[in-house]
Order: sequence, then C-alpha cells, then structure tokens
Amino acid sequence: MNDPAIIIFLIGGLFLGWSLGANDAANVFGTAVGSRMVRFTTAAIICGIFVILGAVISGTGTSLTLGKLGAVDALGGSFMAALAAGLTVYWMTKFGLPVSTSQAIIGSIIGWNLFSDSYTDISSLLKILSTWLVCPLLSALIAAILFTLAKSIVRKVSIGLIRLDGYTRLALILAGAFGAYSLGANNIANVMGVFVPVAPFKDIQIGSIFSISSIQQLFLLGGLAIAVGVFTYSKRVMMTVGSELITLTPLAAWVAVMAHSIVLFLFASERLEQFLANLSLPTIPLVPVSSSQAVVGAVIGIGVVQGGRELQWHRIYSIVKGWVITPIISLLVCIVGLYFLQNVFQQTVKRESQYQISSGVIEQFRKAGINTDELDALSGSVFFSSAEVVRAVEEIVPLSSQQGLKVIEYSLRNSLGINAEKLSLIDENFLSQQQLEVLKKLEGEKYNFSWQLGNALSQKSKEWNLQGGGLKNKLKDREIKSKLAYLYRLFKE
Amino acid sequence: MNPLSLLFKKQYAVEEKVQRLLRFLEDMAHLYQAAFESYFEGSFEEFSQRNHELGEIEKQLDELGHQIQMTLLHESLMPNSRDDLLWFLTKLDKVPSSLKHSLGDILFEKPEIPDELHSSMKNMLVHTHLAVQALAHATDSLFSDLRSVRQHVEEVSRQESEVDNIEYKLLQMVFENKNYELAKQYQLKGILKQIGRVTNLAEDVADTVLILATKHSK
Repeated sequence: MNDPAIIIFLIGGLFLGWSLGANDAANVFGTAVGSRMVRFTTAAIICGIFVILGAVISGTGTSLTLGKLGAVDALGGSFMAALAAGLTVYWMTKFGLPVSTSQAIIGSIIGWNLFSDSYTDISSLLKILSTWLVCPLLSALIAAILFTLAKSIVRKVSIGLIRLDGYTRLALILAGAFGAYSLGANNIANVMGVFVPVAPFKDIQIGSIFSISSIQQLFLLGGLAIAVGVFTYSKRVMMTVGSELITLTPLAAWVAVMAHSIVLFLFASERLEQFLANLSLPTIPLVPVSSSQAVVGAVIGIGVVQGGRELQWHRIYSIVKGWVITPIISLLVCIVGLYFLQNVFQQTVKRESQYQISSGVIEQFRKAGINTDELDALSGSVFFSSAEVVRAVEEIVPLSSQQGLKVIEYSLRNSLGINAEKLSLIDENFLSQQQLEVLKKLEGEKYNFSWQLGNALSQKSKEWNLQGGGLKNKLKDREIKSKLAYLYRLFKE
Repeated sequence: MNPLSLLFKKQYAVEEKVQRLLRFLEDMAHLYQAAFESYFEGSFEEFSQRNHELGEIEKQLDELGHQIQMTLLHESLMPNSRDDLLWFLTKLDKVPSSLKHSLGDILFEKPEIPDELHSSMKNMLVHTHLAVQALAHATDSLFSDLRSVRQHVEEVSRQESEVDNIEYKLLQMVFENKNYELAKQYQLKGILKQIGRVTNLAEDVADTVLILATKHSK
C-alpha cells in the first residue's frame, strides 16, 4: 500500500463500517443491554471481537455476490459508493427513516454502474432484491418455531427462577456472539465489498499454516471500523432499541437475536452452501441482508405466535418503505458524488478498460454456451465499457445474465507478461509445487487476455483446472480463481 | 465439581441462601406450634423458651434476608428477576413477623384459654404449620423447579381454608358462650385472628410465588 491517497479513499468504507457498528450492533445486543440484562461493556467487547472474526473468516461469500452486481474497479469509485451509502444511512437515521446498509450499498453500486456505463447483472440484482423480502419472512418463521420450542422446553425442564436468569443471560451473550459473527460475515460486504476489486493490500503468508489474503486484510480493517462503531456510538442506539422492545421477555429477546443471527448466517455461510449443494438440496444465496429487518421480522414472528395482537404494522410498512427509498437515495447520491469527484476533484472513479472481441474471444464465448454463429461480425471490435460490449453482443444474440458476465470476463483486455523478475516475487507457499513449476515453464510468454494465461496453465497441469459442476466444486474452484486473480495482478504489464 | 457451579457461582450462592432462609421459616413454624402446645399444657416457662428461640431464629432470618437483598442489588442478576425477587422477599418477610407478633401477644397478655377451645386451636395450629411449610416448599420450587410451584401453592390455599373454617367455628364458640365476659371474648378473638393472619399472609405470599413462576415461565 504505497499511495497515501488509498487511506483517504478507504475512509468512505470505514465511515460506512462505523455507522454499521453504531446502528446494527443494537440488533444483536440492543434488547439485552437496553433492558440491562447484559452490561454494555460486556456486549461491546463480545460484539467487537465476533464481528471482526465473522468478517475475516466468513465474509467472502456475500462480497462476491456484490462483486457480480457491479465490480467497482477504481478506488475513487469504491470510495464514493461507500460514502454515498454511509451518508444515506446517516441522513435517513437522522430523519428517523428506516435504514439498511445493505440496501444503501446496492443503490450505490447500481449508481456507479450507471455512471460508468458498466454492466448490471440483472440475475444478481433480482437475487438480492428477493432476499430483502425473504429475509424478514424467514426470520419471522425461524423466530416463531424457536419461540414455540423454547417455551415448551422451559415449561418442561425442571429449573428455578435464579438459575433460569443465569442461563438466560448466558444464552443472550452466546446468541449475541453468534449474532455479531453473523453480522460481520454477512454485512462486511456492505462495508468493504466495493473495495474488493481494488484491494490495496498484499497477501501475507506466515509459514505454511497461516495466511491472510489481501481481501481478508481489507475485511479486518472493515471489521475494526464496525467494532469502533460499536464501542463509540452503539450504546445510545442499544438503549433505544432495548426500551422500544421492552415488552419482550428475556426468552423472547433471546429468540429474536437467535432468529436474526441464523438468518444472517444462512445468507453468509459458504460452508453451509457447499453442504446443501453436496446433498443436492437448494442452496441459499450468499447476499448481504438487512440486520434491522431480520430482527424486526423475528419480533413479528414472536408476535404472531403470541396471538398476533402485538403485530407492529407500522414496522412492516417501514420495511417496505426501506426497500424503495434507501437504494434510490443512495443511487442518486452516488451518481452526484461520482460526477463531482471525477469532474471537480479530477479523481479516477472508473478504470479505463478495453473490451476486445477476437476470434479467440469468440471461441471462449462458444465454450461458455453462447451462440456464436453470427458473432464473427464483431471480430476486431473494441469497446470501452462493459455495458457497451454486452449491448453489442446482445444485439446479435440473446444473452442470459450469466453469459453477460462471461462476455465481460473474456473480452476484457489485460496485457500480461511472464518474466523472471515477477516470478521471483511469488510466495512459494501460496502455490503448490506443481502449480509453481507449471507457471515457471511459461516464462517469456505474453498474453492479451487474462483467460489466455488461465488456459495455458490449465492445459499444462490438472492442478490449474477449474472443476466446474456448479456449487459442488465452488470452494475448490474459488481457491484456484483466487490464485489466478493473484497472477493476473502480478503479471499485468 | 459441577462446571455449571463455577459458571453460575452468584446464582448458586443466592439459591443456597434462600434455602437456608426457608429452613429458618420452617423451624419458626414448628416452634410456633410447639410454643402454643406448651402454653396449653400450662408450662409458661417452656412457652417463653420457645418464644425466645423463635425470636433468635427470626433475627437470623432477618439478617439472611438482608444479605440476599444486598446480593440481589449488587450482584449481576437481570433487573427483571432482581426486582421481582426483591418484591417477593419483602412480602415473605411478613410471615415470620406475624409468627413472632402472635406469640408476643400471648407473652404479654398471658390470656386464659378455656380447655374446650384447646383441641380446635391445636388443630388450627397444625394447619397453620402445614400452610407455612407448603409456602416454604412453594418458594423452594420457585428457585428449583418452576413447574411444581402450583401444587404447593394450592396446598397453601387448602390449609388456609382449613384454618379459616376452624377460626370461624372457634369464634362462634367464643361469642355464643354466655359464660365468657365481653373483654375475654375480644381477647380470644384477637388471639385467633393473629393465628389466622399467619395463614392469610402465607396464602398472599404463595399467590405472589405463583405470579412470579407464571411470569418467568413465559
């Protein structure tokens, strides 16, 4: 990280992280702290630690979904996307309007896509939009089931008031820790996801056991920002949430936190996704969802089990209002901000990229399942934005959302040169012995597209082969893809 | 060692103190009955001795109750449970006080209790003892097994009804007997009412126990 400007640009994300910590920690520990079941200091320490762990260990999955929606490829753009989301959250909180960092950042990314004429992956967008509806509903369902179960267990188990008090407190702390972990895992994408394509850190490898990737370093920073938000500003919000929901019994409070945490975890866990895929079960999309809406959904679920008299319709209305207002405001703020950043402050908000269609690229399209019968007409064409190249191809052949992403991936020009100097920079622990040997055989080669290097490696060794086959091999393939991405960055000329 | 006892040290300590407090309460109920029996047998010295012992236990019970209240105030029990327990302990404290005051009245007034009342009064005292014992069990259940609170509370109510019935019959006997002077009739009424008050309070506290058990099972 050589450029001090990077720090300034990262401030946008750190501000968003701080506001997320200040606001959303209340969803995890608000009831417990607000009703004084758990001390604020205890809650803040647990929340801070587990948010960071969740972000670093399990934060990747949701970030990749955001990356598909729009890969913000310049630090200036990432800064403005995060800042616009942060400002939207701040303003809406100030005016007492429903707020969600997840929805704000989605609006920002689409704003950047529109401003930079970048392709918006509609399937990813729809996937995200559908989770906004599913998240509170699922949370309500889980809360209703959990509440019914917990109530019947408490009634059946032989336990006294004081011990019940102790167990409840411990359960609240454990649920809070789980909630904080899930919050970090699910929502770190909101805070740092836009910086992933431009991650300014180098991977760190200590021995052959411990490694921390540039993305994990980015998430660690984001996690720290969230933790600072928890320590500095969340107490007030927790007290408000606690007194708002004071009618909840300790058991109901525990259920609300657990349901919220389970939902956030379900939408963030790659391992669970892999597990479900291995069992040929439908998987849950890895998408950042709103922590506030999950907790409100849970409270509504408990209300339904208790007879529905305590259903808070104004809160349901707030959720729906949030789906519409937050992303629109964030989108507009982002576009205006990007305009000023680019034209007034002369900052790069989008990397200059070229998308070229050649016969080799068309062959790649064909392998990706795109009908290439009439695409020869585009051979030799050069485009200057991802949306432009997709539009050109779509004029000839209809593309699915996934194929649109493939068109961008294969047509993006990226000049790579494999030379001894850069080969010597490779951390030997990062690649396997065989992977490294194969790479060294390519010394002196030059490529115009990233996929050409990937193909060359794949032809020489199975260790560079992507397995494909959908979600089952997703984690294995992700490891190879992350190594390839590292090589593409390293050998870029 | 049970690992839970390390994790919930504070809770276990409060529970242990409450257990001791309840044993004191049961001892007081036993001494109360025994003191009256001594009085009926005409042994005022033994009655005084029992009354003294009861006073000593009441002091220890007061001290223990104070310790529990301080623990609840200073240690980290959840506010909801803490407030409920403090409220409950304040109510529970009235039962031993009523036992002490009832014997205190006998000690000062030294009333002459006619022989024809002894049998029914002894029966009334047995039920009073059982009511306080059932209250102790109900309270014990509040701290060990919320599910069984109701059966003990119902037992308190049953004993209280018995005491009420006997009290009513005794009052009838006292006021229908033309050989008793009016002053004596009112003195005996006062003594019977004091004994009846113990079970009334026990029932009142038992109801509180049931409310707390129901509230915390939700």
